Amino acid sequence: MAEIGEVLLDVRDLHVHFNTADGVVKAVDGVSFQVHRNETVGIVGESGSGKSVTCLTALRLINLETAHVTGEVLFKGKNLLTLPKEELRHIRGKELSMIFQDPFACLHPLYKVGDQIVEAILTHDDCGKDTAKDRTVDLLKAVGIPRPEQRFNDYPHQYSGGMRQRAMIAMALVHNPDVLIADEPTTALDVTVQAQILELIDRVKQDFNIGVILITHDLGVVSDFAQSVMVMYAGRPVEIGSRDEVFSQPLHPYAWGLLDSIPSVDQKGTRLIPITGAPPSLINVPPGCPFHPRCPHRFDPCDKDRPELADRGGGHPEACHLTVEDKRRLWNERERRRMKAPA
Amino acid sequence: MSQAEVVSDEIAQDPQQDALIEVKHLTKYFPVTQGIIFQKEVARVHAVEDVSFSIRPGETLGLVGESGCGKSTTARLIMKLIESTSGQIIFDGRDITKMSRKEMVPLRREMQMMFQDPYSSLNPRQTIGQIIGAPFSIHKTEGDSKKKVRDLMDRVGLNPEHYNRYAHEFSGGQRQRIGVARALALRPKIIVCDEPVSALDVSIQAQVLNLLEDLQDEFKLTYLFISHDLGVVRHISDRIAVMYLGRLVEVADADELYDHPKHPYTTALLSAVPKGYNAEDTNVSKRIVLEGDVPSPVDPPSGCPFHPRCPKARQVGGGEIPEKCRTEMPPLGEIETQHRAACWYPIEQGEALEKAAHS
Repeated sequence: MAEIGEVLLDVRDLHVHFNTADGVVKAVDGVSFQVHRNETVGIVGESGSGKSVTCLTALRLINLETAHVTGEVLFKGKNLLTLPKEELRHIRGKELSMIFQDPFACLHPLYKVGDQIVEAILTHDDCGKDTAKDRTVDLLKAVGIPRPEQRFNDYPHQYSGGMRQRAMIAMALVHNPDVLIADEPTTALDVTVQAQILELIDRVKQDFNIGVILITHDLGVVSDFAQSVMVMYAGRPVEIGSRDEVFSQPLHPYAWGLLDSIPSVDQKGTRLIPITGAPPSLINVPPGCPFHPRCPHRFDPCDKDRPELADRGGGHPEACHLTVEDKRRLWNERERRRMKAPA
Repeated sequence: MSQAEVVSDEIAQDPQQDALIEVKHLTKYFPVTQGIIFQKEVARVHAVEDVSFSIRPGETLGLVGESGCGKSTTARLIMKLIESTSGQIIFDGRDITKMSRKEMVPLRREMQMMFQDPYSSLNPRQTIGQIIGAPFSIHKTEGDSKKKVRDLMDRVGLNPEHYNRYAHEFSGGQRQRIGVARALALRPKIIVCDEPVSALDVSIQAQVLNLLEDLQDEFKLTYLFISHDLGVVRHISDRIAVMYLGRLVEVADADELYDHPKHPYTTALLSAVPKGYNAEDTNVSKRIVLEGDVPSPVDPPSGCPFHPRCPKARQVGGGEIPEKCRTEMPPLGEIETQHRAACWYPIEQGEALEKAAHS
């Protein structure tokens, strides 16, 4: 696997707040991360943790007039949040593109799939309809659609779910983007199709040498396909590190809780240890550490001081008041318990 | 190459224990019609075809498969929410296949169902007390139903003081607990759970799975547990049945099925699941990626329904699909004790399937 390259996307201290009748929804509250060339960044978290809003804001797909946004999104050095609309249009969909969760809702039902991709090409490239059509057929072929010449003229309802997602990927790739954002690309699909799509995205990443952001709630997907991982909770990252760091020595109790909640395919589970309670409302985020009401290891400062995201000596940034020694001890105890558990 | 032995009676009977529910050759076709007044049947959706299995009392049978393979239709047939085309359903020694609605009423107390979507399966205009208490009023049970409802709410981890609240005031996980309480109200013998945790976040999913396990121990419940999540199914099931295109392709004990799958489809399905982090094993390429999509159940392939996508068949035939796979339907035969698979060329122990070539 090729080494990761230069920084393509640099998100700095991003805050996204929405004013609603019930109060201010702090959907994203202090997120910083980077995406490098030839790297897949996995963003994991439960629903409402701010994963999607982070990426929609990065693409400036939310209305900046109604949402209160602070921070910077630097794409190859340009701040997308302050860029004039005209310039943004040249980047978005061309150098920076996105595939969405629901391939059923993202294709126009009344236009042929091929024509929709041709339109995406012509938006940024005045190459003429015939060239665009040839390129579309090539792209459909590249993403594994059988008989692309005929399939070009099909409507979305004639495609299966997996094929629609392939067509979406083809559309995202029309201008050889530098960064591809995939927002839960396989949640609506079956496991066998999920495997096809994830392998396709991985191949695209290597062939086109691009950076990928993979948003998912499935830790298995992240550990198989991402090189670095950001775990989010209540609009904030609680742990950021390489895949090996986060999965072999996770430092945040929320990450432990997530890992304990997943029934394993590989061994007959002992009893699951769920995280108690439910994720907080983003209008009323608990004071201090937002995870403290559900955390079994909370102690004195947790309900007062919000822990900052910092490397406390564990090798990668995390946001938890426990000392690194305590974290290592607790994690190793957990591992020992798991080993002892009858298979 | 050992061939599947054809077992004459397709239900392997356990002599000591009678099955609580037994399904024999269950088949359901949905007609595809054309015309307005004179509706002509132009095709059939083969939703469930020749499915046979049994569930012992206290057991959890997991039913897995991809969307559209007939899992939910099977559940509905068993619950008699839809009528089967042919086949037999025997519940607690009684053949319920041809029973009328009226005859079914007393039996309904013993069979309950839990649904996937906690948003659409609860009436938004009723309070939680009314929803959970509905089974008591329908079946006109004796005693103080309000107290029973409160006890039930307490048992499934809901605050009994929330008796008068409406469904929209609860989160997804709590709503699913309401569904559990409602299913549990009449102390049924079997609960058919149709994807009960698929709509929930992982941390909440684990809470509901633990609750289902506790209730099973406490009330000696039998579950038919339907899910597409292979991790969840392994966690909760004693035995597992795998469905593909309306047919059962493999039935075995949970550990046996996951550790030594016999059917190429099961093998591919298991390998498709992202395995999660494992420091020693970084070999992701072991994943078998199946080609193409599930064929349409309106026009299922001849012979073995899996043959057009089967990596094993191609391996056996040296690139070509063997004649037998294309023309003859393999029976669900016992390959090892308590392990049945419908395949002409089952996977042998230790055999690794080659990653299927894909374009």
